[in-house]
Parts: sequence; structure tokens; C-alpha cells
Amino acid sequence: MLKSRIFILLQIVTFLVASTVGTAQAAVIGNAEHFAQPHRSEALAHIDAAFARDVVQQQMLAMGVDPADTMERVGALSDAELQQLAQSLDSLPAGSSALGVLGALFLVLLVLEILGVTNVFTKI
Amino acid sequence: MGRSIIALVLVALITACASTAPPPPNQAPSELVGVPFFPQTEYQCGPAALTTVLVHSGVATSPDALTPQVYLPGRQGSLQVELLAAARRAGRIPFTLEAAPEALLAELEAGNPVLVLQNLGLRSLPRWHYAVVVGYERARERVILRSGTERRRQERWTRFIASWAKADYWGLVVPGAGKLPGSARAATIGPEIARQEGQLPPEVTLTAWESALARWPEEPDILFATANARRTAADQEAAAALYRRLLLLAPGHMAGRNNFADLLLEAGCPGAAAAALAPAHLALPGLAANVRDAITRTAAAIASGKTENPTDPAHCRTLSGDPPSP
Repeated sequence: MLKSRIFILLQIVTFLVASTVGTAQAAVIGNAEHFAQPHRSEALAHIDAAFARDVVQQQMLAMGVDPADTMERVGALSDAELQQLAQSLDSLPAGSSALGVLGALFLVLLVLEILGVTNVFTKI
Repeated sequence: MGRSIIALVLVALITACASTAPPPPNQAPSELVGVPFFPQTEYQCGPAALTTVLVHSGVATSPDALTPQVYLPGRQGSLQVELLAAARRAGRIPFTLEAAPEALLAELEAGNPVLVLQNLGLRSLPRWHYAVVVGYERARERVILRSGTERRRQERWTRFIASWAKADYWGLVVPGAGKLPGSARAATIGPEIARQEGQLPPEVTLTAWESALARWPEEPDILFATANARRTAADQEAAAALYRRLLLLAPGHMAGRNNFADLLLEAGCPGAAAAALAPAHLALPGLAANVRDAITRTAAAIASGKTENPTDPAHCRTLSGDPPSP
């Protein structure tokens, strides 16, 4: 008897709290929302930010990043940046160095370098 | 035999495309000789280039400190967005340039070295590389860069542009604390700051908005954003002053009306909040959905606020800017 009364009382209190919180809520338009660019692709808009965070963290781990570092790196990215990475982390440009050309590629690039099309080698 | 023919065809096609590059600029030579040099190791051009611009902006850091923040062993390189994230972690705002050679030169003019992404290979076989542009010599048409292990690498303008164009002219600058990019425009500075607000300390964001406001004091969206930032910094009176200035200048700025009304309501002034929001009701159908929703919710909150406090207390006049009653 007492238990069910306490339960009913709790329900009433919860209802009252929930309804007062609801009506007291005004709405502020934040800067990020105000200046947001329209989404370029439907696909980007649909990837949930939290899901994107997990995906990117997993990808970083798979790419050899220290687990402690992945948390901080993922935490420093915006939702839009995380969504972009979740889709294309293995194909986005990754600046590495001016050198490191090997094999058959070397000859092609040497020809192109001499003709002034590429800019890989320093002294030519 | 087959391969050489393919190579020659490739060359013919690519040379044809390269001839439409922008001409060399005709401006006074400039070189930022004070920009430090951090030679890269192996695949760490990202950390080296980022250290260069961060140290130049007044941050104490090093390639060793930045490598764990930006380097991806599996890609043997660093991604552009991670360079942005690392700059923010260092307490600076990185500004991505508009994709145009003019922006690069405007930055050099303003004393900002430019971290650029270059594709030193082909679009189909890219060799991505980060370097820092520190100068341009008009006489010899040479761009001067801190690049790889070269403190003063000189590249012919046409060759530099070819490699930069293949990276879609991507570049960033990190101005010193409270400073804005040299190529900043009123229309572009807002989105650049706003999209990074979530990843920056509030005081850094506020300083950036105040700098933008000092430069463009009558730009409604910048007034709006700075008012919001002042409110986030708990400076209610300064925020209210800016909202009032915004609404005098741009009475149709409904997002501004909404946020001003919210501030007044929170300050215990539902009457003043209702007055501020009133013009928005007629304009509702023409507004963006998010603004419409916010106004509707704010109006509901004002209505319940008025039920509790039918008359505004005296302090509300300071915030609302209404003249004192006779």
C-alpha cells in the first residue's frame, strides 16, 4: 500500500517537473547554427555525429595511431569534420613529403619534371 | 613501347591544361624573413609546416609535440582537418583561405606566412606535401617557401601554381592572438569563426568576434555573433548593447530579435522581451525553419514568464534601452 502510494507520488512529481522544464525553455540561435553552410550532399547530412566519431576513432587505431592520442584527436574535430573523415579518411590528401618516388613511376615523373609539369625534384 | 606512348599522350594532355594558369602577380617583392624554419623528417611535413606557422603566431611548440596530434602512420602523412584541429588545440584559430592566388598574396602582405597543400605529382598520381609560403619575388617570378629540408626553397610562380592548383588552392593561416587573416572579408569571416566555435575556448572565440566587429562595425551578422559571444561570456549588459545596436541597424534581423528577447527573459524582463520579439510574429512565414522554431519557443517562454511577472522590474530599462518612465 505504502509502496504504491510512493510510486504514484513519484510519478506526479516527475510529471510536474517535466512539464515546468518544458514551458520554461526558450530557444537561442547559436553562431554555428546561424552561419552553417547548406549540406553539400544528402549522405553527409545523414551520418550521425556520434557514429562518425566512433568510425573515425576506429580508423585511426587501424592506421597505427596511439589509442590515447585517438581520443584527443577525435575530440578536437567538429561534427562536420568527423562526418567528412568517416566517409573518406583513406582517400583524403595526406601531406607527407617532397620525396619518396620509386620504380616505374620515377621515369614517368622524370620526363614530366623535365617538361615542367610536375615539381617533385628539387634541383631540376 | 606502349608505356612511352601513354606517357607522351599524358604529357600532351597535361601541358595543355597547364597553360591556363593565372599569370604571375605584379606586386612589390616581400619576404617574411622572420618566419622560423623546422626541417621535416621522413613523412612529417605536416608537423613541420604547422610548427612553423604556430611558432610564428606566438605559440611554443615543436614537430615532436605535434606529430602525435596530426600524423597518421597508415597514410604516412597528415590530413588537412587534423592540422586545423591541432592549431585549435594550441589555442589559435586556423583560417582556411579562399581558393585563389590573390588570397595568398594578401596574407603575405599582412605578414602571415601561408601553409599550403601542394600536389607535387599528378591529379591521378598525387604526391601530397605541405609547405609554408613566406615570400614572393616579382623580378624573378619566384615563390619562396619553407619546404621539406629547405629553408628557402624557390619555385617558379607557374610551377608553384600548378602544384597548388592540383590541391584546389588549399591553404591556411594562423594569425596571432586576436588578429584576423589579411584576406578576410566580411562575408567569409563569420562562417570561418562560427564553424570552429565548438572546438575553441570561449575567450578565443570572443576575441576573434570582437576583432571582426572592430573591423566591420556595421555588419549585422558580425554584430549578432559578437552579441552571442558576449552573452556566452556572461557579459549580459555588453551583449544587450550589441543586440540593441544590431536591431537599430537591421530591424529585420529576426535571429537577433529572438536572442535579444531570450536574454531579456532570462534577466527577468518578460515585458521587454515581448516588445523586442513583437515584430517577428508578422514575419514568421518568411523565415528559415530554425529561426521560426526558435521564435515560437521563445514566445511561449515569454508568455509563461509574463504570467509569473506581469510588470518588469526597473533594471530592465538598462538592458532594453527604453527611456526611463517620467
